[in-house]
Amino acid sequence: MQQCYVVDAANTPWKRSATEGITFACQVLLSGEDGGPEALHFRFDDCPSVYAHMHLTSQFQLLLNGSMDFPRGVKHLEGLAIHYTDHNMPYGPFAVSKGHDMLVLHPRAGGIISMANHDARRQINLGGRLFASLAADSQWQPLPNADHSSFKFLMPPGYGPAAVVVRSPAHAALAMPAAEFGRYEVVLEGSVIVDGQEIGPPGFRYVRGDQPAEPLVTGENGGTVAFLTFDRDALEGGINEGSLAAEAAEAMARAI
Amino acid sequence: MTETTQQAAPLRVVVFADFVCPYSYLAVDQIDRLAREYDVKPLWRPHWLHPETPLEGTPREQTPDSAAKRERLHAWVKEMAPEQYPRIRFPERRHYSFLAFEALEFAYDHGRDAEFKTAVYDVMWTGGGDIGKPETLMAAAERSGLDPDELGEALHDRSYAQRALDACNQARTIGITNTPTMFLGRTRINGWHYYEVLESVLQKQGVRPRETATAG
Repeated sequence: MQQCYVVDAANTPWKRSATEGITFACQVLLSGEDGGPEALHFRFDDCPSVYAHMHLTSQFQLLLNGSMDFPRGVKHLEGLAIHYTDHNMPYGPFAVSKGHDMLVLHPRAGGIISMANHDARRQINLGGRLFASLAADSQWQPLPNADHSSFKFLMPPGYGPAAVVVRSPAHAALAMPAAEFGRYEVVLEGSVIVDGQEIGPPGFRYVRGDQPAEPLVTGENGGTVAFLTFDRDALEGGINEGSLAAEAAEAMARAI
Repeated sequence: MTETTQQAAPLRVVVFADFVCPYSYLAVDQIDRLAREYDVKPLWRPHWLHPETPLEGTPREQTPDSAAKRERLHAWVKEMAPEQYPRIRFPERRHYSFLAFEALEFAYDHGRDAEFKTAVYDVMWTGGGDIGKPETLMAAAERSGLDPDELGEALHDRSYAQRALDACNQARTIGITNTPTMFLGRTRINGWHYYEVLESVLQKQGVRPRETATAG
C-alpha cells in the first residue's frame, strides 16, 4: 500500500493553546485520524520547563528555529536540529526559548503522556532510542552524481531511523528509495514541486510504501529538504485499546 | 539426602556520581530505596565532573545566561523530584568534591560507605555544608557511624588521595561522561531516571522485591 500526503503549511490555520500552564501556537498539519501520519507544528512561548512526557509512537522533532535545553544527553539544541525518540521513550523536562519553532512528526497518531503519570513510567520503552543533534555540527558533502548539490547527515548512517538534509539548485530531481516505514520530506528553504503543487518551508510530503515515490523537484530558486525516515519502530505502539492510549489521545486532543 | 539452600548473591548496582551534581543527589533517595526494597548491593563510585574547581570552590557566574540556567535547573528538579525539591538548598558556589571522594574511600574501608555517601549528600544539598572542608566531611562521618577524628587524620595525611584519583580515572576509562551513570546488573542507565524504571530494569533481570523474595 502506497501512502502519500502533501502538506502546504501556509494553508493551515494557527491556533493558540495551553497545556499544564505552557502556552504555544499550533498548526495541526496532519491529524492522524485516518490511521495515517500525524504532524504538528508548534511555536512554544519561552518556558523554563516543559513537562517530561512521551508519545506512543516514534517521533522526529525538527527544530526549525529557537532553542531547546535538556537536563540529560545532548543538552542544548538550536535550529536547525533533530530530536528523535522511539515509541514510549520519554524526554524532558526541557526549556524552550529564542523564538521556538518546531515540527513534531509521527508515523501515526502518538498521543502524549506526562511522566508525572506513574503508570506510564512502568510502560517506558527500556530499550528505546533517543538521538539529538544540531545540523551545524555536521558538514555538507557533495551529493554524488548531482552537480552543485550537497547533503549532510543529521543522524549517523546505519543508526536505524535516518535524517539527512539535501540542498540542490533549481529543477533538481531528489529521488529517494522506497520508505517501508514512512518518511517525511520537509522543505527547509526554497521550494519543491510535487504533484504539480509548489510548496515552501515548512511544507512537506509524507510517503510510505514498498515502491519509491516520485522524486521531489526543486523550484526556481532551488531547495533544501530534510528527509526523515522511520525504521521498524514506527510499527510499534500507537493509540490502541489500552487505557494509557486512551489517556494519551485525550491529552493530545486537549493540548492541540 | 541433604538439601542445601543456595542464596543468590545480591545484584550489584554501581552508581558513578559526583556529590556536586544535583541529579546525583536525586538518585540517592532512589538507590537507597532500591536497596531497601530489592536484594541489591549498591556501590557508589566517583566521577569527577569539575576537576578544575579549586579547593575553596568556584562562585556562581552572575550573567543573564547563568540566571536562566539556574531558573531551568530549579524548574527541572522541582518537576523530577517534587518531594525532594522543597528541602534542597542549591549551593551558591560549586564545591570541590575530591576531598569527599577521598573520604568515601575511607568509609568504604570501614564498611560505612552507603551511610556516609547519603550523609555527605544531605549535608551539602539540604544542610548547605561545604564539602570542600574537612570539618563538613567529619560531621557527615559522625552521622554515619564513623570516627570523625580518624577521618580527619586520613584527610590530613591524604591517605586515600591516590585511591580516589585512581577511581576517578577508572570512571573516565570506562567511558563515564555524565552523572549519575548507573549500572543495574547488566543494564547501564545514563543519567537520572524514574524509580519505576529502575524497578523495571531489576525485575527484567529476575530481581524480586524483598517481601516477595522472602515469601517465596
